[in-house]
Amino acid sequence: MAYFGNNQQRGELQELYADLNDLNFEKKKEAVKKVIAYMTVGKDVSQLFQSVIKCLEFQDIEMKKLIYLYIVNYSRQKPDDAIMVIQNFRKDVRKSENPLVRALAIRTFGCLRVPKLNEYLIEPLKDCISDDDPYVRKTAVLCVPKVFEVSPELCPPVLEQLQKLLEKESNALVLANLIQSMREIEVVNGKQLILMNPKIIQKLLLAVDECMEWGQIFILDYLATYDPADSKQAEIIIERTLPRLSHINPTVTFCAVKLILKYLDYLDNGDLVKNLCKKISPSLISLLSWNQSEIQYTILRNISLILQKFPILFENEVKVFFCSFNEPYYIKYEKLDIMVRICDSKNFTQVLNELTIYINEADPHFVRKTIKSIGKIGMMYDKALNEAVSILVEFAKNVQQATEPVQELFIQMQILYRKNRNLYKTNDSLKILFNILEYANEAEAKSACAWIVGEFAEFIPKSVEKMKEYIDNFLIEDRLVQLQLLTSGVKLYIKYPSQCSALIQQLINSAKDSFNPDVRDRTYIYWRLLSTDPEVVKNLVCSAPIGSSQFQKDIRLWETKDLIIALENMGSISNLFHKLPNQLYKNIKVRNNHQQEAKIYKADEKQEAPQKDQEIKKNDQNQQQQQQQQQQQQQQSQQQKQDFDLLNFDEPVSNNSNNANNKVDVYDLI
Amino acid sequence: MISSLSFINQKGEILIYRVYKDDISRSEITQFCAKMIATKENKESPIINIDQTSFIHISIKDIIILATTKTDVNVAMVLEFLYQLSKICKSYFQGILDENCIKKSFVLIYEILDEVLDYGIPQIADPNLLQKFIQEGGMQQEATISIDKFRSLTGTITGAVSWRPPGLHYDKNELYLDIIESVNLLISAKDTVLRAEVVGSIELKSKLTGMPECQIGMNDKLLMGKQARMTKQNGGIVIDDMKFHPCVGLPKFEKDRTITFIPPDGHFQLMSYRISENINIPFKVNVFYSEISENKLEIRLKIKSIYDKNVYGTNIAVKVPVPKNTVNVVSATGLGKAKHEIEEQSVIWRIKKLQGDVETSLRCEISLGATNRDQTWSKPPLKMEFQIPMFTSSGFRVRFLKVMEKGAYKTNKWIRYLTRGGDYLHRL
Repeated sequence: MAYFGNNQQRGELQELYADLNDLNFEKKKEAVKKVIAYMTVGKDVSQLFQSVIKCLEFQDIEMKKLIYLYIVNYSRQKPDDAIMVIQNFRKDVRKSENPLVRALAIRTFGCLRVPKLNEYLIEPLKDCISDDDPYVRKTAVLCVPKVFEVSPELCPPVLEQLQKLLEKESNALVLANLIQSMREIEVVNGKQLILMNPKIIQKLLLAVDECMEWGQIFILDYLATYDPADSKQAEIIIERTLPRLSHINPTVTFCAVKLILKYLDYLDNGDLVKNLCKKISPSLISLLSWNQSEIQYTILRNISLILQKFPILFENEVKVFFCSFNEPYYIKYEKLDIMVRICDSKNFTQVLNELTIYINEADPHFVRKTIKSIGKIGMMYDKALNEAVSILVEFAKNVQQATEPVQELFIQMQILYRKNRNLYKTNDSLKILFNILEYANEAEAKSACAWIVGEFAEFIPKSVEKMKEYIDNFLIEDRLVQLQLLTSGVKLYIKYPSQCSALIQQLINSAKDSFNPDVRDRTYIYWRLLSTDPEVVKNLVCSAPIGSSQFQKDIRLWETKDLIIALENMGSISNLFHKLPNQLYKNIKVRNNHQQEAKIYKADEKQEAPQKDQEIKKNDQNQQQQQQQQQQQQQQSQQQKQDFDLLNFDEPVSNNSNNANNKVDVYDLI
Repeated sequence: MISSLSFINQKGEILIYRVYKDDISRSEITQFCAKMIATKENKESPIINIDQTSFIHISIKDIIILATTKTDVNVAMVLEFLYQLSKICKSYFQGILDENCIKKSFVLIYEILDEVLDYGIPQIADPNLLQKFIQEGGMQQEATISIDKFRSLTGTITGAVSWRPPGLHYDKNELYLDIIESVNLLISAKDTVLRAEVVGSIELKSKLTGMPECQIGMNDKLLMGKQARMTKQNGGIVIDDMKFHPCVGLPKFEKDRTITFIPPDGHFQLMSYRISENINIPFKVNVFYSEISENKLEIRLKIKSIYDKNVYGTNIAVKVPVPKNTVNVVSATGLGKAKHEIEEQSVIWRIKKLQGDVETSLRCEISLGATNRDQTWSKPPLKMEFQIPMFTSSGFRVRFLKVMEKGAYKTNKWIRYLTRGGDYLHRL
């Protein structure tokens, strides 16, 4: 079979070549199919270009489609040969009675992407845009961005035609494609192409009711970027969008939610806003229990954004976010996150009970996250503090090896102790932790342990020996651990000066040789201070923190100023990664320009939205401040009752900058 | 929008590869494939970003359908599109989508891919509609179909009733209704109901002549409430949320909650609904684990069916988790059979048929091996599967289904109800 001997592929091509040029139609067709099959698996069959396009003379649609597929794939490699196809395309577009053939031709024509062929394309394209058949029109309309991408210089007349079409087109599907196509061009071009007016809005709203689900998505997506002129217009558009909340396609529903959320800011009528929230919430909840987990995931990723705008939207619905045993972990992670976000002073017990169950899960990352969340809730709500600690202590009792969750346990316990020093007594927590200190192996966890040993030295048996163990390995520790060891070592020295003189000497000796300049600097500071005035160090290092627990519930994920842009892009890839489009895509032009224009133009309205947000936040803050004040009072009263056996100093809020930084790191929302 | 679509098998080989925009290269896909195969456990999210290229994928059994894009697309839309694409393929391959049928019918799939997306923008994804003009083995020759037929086809595709072609005829007009409810239940170890939810769906099979308009009504409290004042009927049930097939006139529903539609031909899902209030939980389950000795565990389980006596639950399977180191299980049941299934790490108790208001029990004695003695066993939840015909957990009922068409038009209608276990879990 192979004329050219050993090269098998060559032989196959040769055979195909023969079949393609065979007189028998069926044989030709089989050969074309084989060519496509080779193309699919990645073999180069571009050499057969001429033979393949010769087969175009047949009117068989299936074969035509295959050949077009072939041409599209190789036209850029063989632009000169591709010219030969032009006549076929033009013939199909102009002469064929069959609208499917006309549409197929113009669709493929646009995909050739060879600049010098495009000039032959403009005229037929114009014809197709004004074709009688809507199927041809909807295809032609999508052909424009294809041409625009390759040869923008040819396009101005066609773009004008599109703008006119937007005015007069009545078919819903064509309109939807038209909007999408013009948006694609806007992204490349950076200039506004769609000129909105009330008549067009009216038309688009009508088209939403009539066109296919994808068209509905395009139109709703587009309208979500539009800024309504006034409250009345916003109200009308929202009213017409509401029915979409009942569409079976989750994306249609989601786009409707997005549009409504964005337009809410423009409404004057407060009652209406409340009513709308009531309607949106059940619809969203249905999406959250959607049986396709991938879709569920995208919705979950966007919930934090919605929550930032409407913290009350899922007020009594925390159960919706309970994890099911068999769910994929990427869903569980998101649900856990959201649960912490919507945890409040009313439902924290419910949330904590649920989290207790997750501690037994198999996945260490998930358990770690659960522990972190428990710590977070304990920090946010004073009433939850004791419960959180007892859950963590219960977990600590069963620890038998250095797992990932155990690391998080130390970190969270340290943070909780910082919030309320007296917790060391709760359920013997300190004792239980001390027994498993050896399992700390991550830098952050080790540094937490070092802090615990220093802080509670007086309640820990053999704390000095423990510290000695740490200091023996000082130089191989991480920077974070070294810094904490320094402070803790100094603390210990202050508490037990006579026992620790050798220890502190060893510590300073090792620390001043640290590779890390921060560590060296701090060593010298402590050294000097200790040698001049130990009292100052006492005041600095050893004292019960008062008012240092400035932990606020902050569910903000986005800067308030970015919220509107984020909302407009809800559901997009950038939003999924919790970024703004221009942060993820460097080349996005139009959205930025558009945003800036919109900002200037809509300055008044835009200010309103942040104000609302700020109000909400202010309320939150007020509540928190009240809580904090209460808590501080409680703490103070407790502290007065408490006798500290050795030292009882007041401490400045930031005892060392590094620790303060640590706190921020830990509490950054994931 | 979408730059390319590919179908990938379990080994990471590309079966189908279709490019819609040329900002993507094949090598990027192969890179992704290598990555997918490397992380077999698929813990990662369904969307991955590598150097400004986003890979969005779903898995249908062994086949991965992958869309790539370089623009900021609406992710939910792409995912929903991929799911619909998989449905389309299945509708062509008698409900199966596997490597064999993809390889065998790749020409057909390319044809489909040509029609469902244009420049990466979703166009037609309705299987019924696509079947009208893409068929296995090619369309009939153009000569035999008149141009008018094509015109009416494009008219249907782009029209307001794109899901139903005109001119259908059946000798007998028939309509089959299936109401299928899935109960999602989560009960805590302390026997309190943490979450109870019914997700239901109405599936319709229509064989109707012409362009009839249908109206369906159920015991929806909001709607019944309005009418109750006039007819003194009992109020209905609260439906949290409903989602409808595109054929349902949504503005009309929004206005007065009536559901009217011109049905597509054949089988389709008319609507789905979600109910979270007043759920009738069909089974009461009591479980006791007791340690008899060092390596013996006893499980006692009681189930009571709490539905009507004239209703029967079928194909009931209770998955009772047992420790990993289970060696042997001796079980005694009141009804049905129980068997230890090692891969599932549970004893599965199957009951073919269970009448309402009946209590039955299972007792298992489990011998444990010596491994893993130090680690405490955290029990996964107990799961139940079942099907109960002619019963709805939510109390959902269809009150009427009218078919309206000109002339003497008679329709035979059949209705079935079924409740089945969804995510039906008891924590232990």
